[in-house]
Amino acid sequence: MESITTRFGIVEYDPAQVLLFPDGLPGFEVLRRFLVMPNPTGGPFFWIQSVEEGDVALILTDPTNFFPEYAVRPDTEELAGLNIGEEDDCHALSVVTVREDKSVTLNLAGPILFAPKTNRAIQVVLQNSRYSSREPLPRAENTQDRQAVEG
Amino acid sequence: MLVLTRKPGQGIMIGDDVRITLVDVKGDTVRIGIDAPRATRVYRQELYEAVRQENRDAVSWDFSDLEALDKHVSKESK
Repeated sequence: MESITTRFGIVEYDPAQVLLFPDGLPGFEVLRRFLVMPNPTGGPFFWIQSVEEGDVALILTDPTNFFPEYAVRPDTEELAGLNIGEEDDCHALSVVTVREDKSVTLNLAGPILFAPKTNRAIQVVLQNSRYSSREPLPRAENTQDRQAVEG
Repeated sequence: MLVLTRKPGQGIMIGDDVRITLVDVKGDTVRIGIDAPRATRVYRQELYEAVRQENRDAVSWDFSDLEALDKHVSKESK
């Protein structure tokens, strides 16, 4: 086990479990290695913690919890970056931003593609998306309605 | 910054494998063609900058925000 000091205290981790961003992330190009931190409450939000920079942690969520029709497929180059084939699992995740006024948005224009098989991830910029990089998080009532309709 | 004057149909080479072609000029809009290796990512600058800025904005949260998020989507909450 190794350990790092983060904004949230000391975190111990197994180096074999580290999530690799081979290209870093826009704005954090030099940060490649992150830990996936589950939400203690089991809610839909979790976070990734940089191993290389203790101050950097991003909240993520599966956007299909809120936008059921949202889907992003990796292209050939992205598959190569993730080191997987077309038949392998790949999940699109969204970065969650909580602003000073406590408003919450999801970055649906810049999803993080995550490949469980290789524990790799890349953030992509969608070119002709109808979604915004600041898509407001729907209220609980709306989410409920949608689930009720589908259920 | 290097500034070059080009006419429609003329181009610019960046390194050995990126070719920029000025396709068309109409009023204040310029259409640009880009030939680059697939591994070279090409983005509209404002989209890339928006994602970059979002990442920067997204790192200043704390645990109370996470609790508020859970509450925000909780089915029990009113």
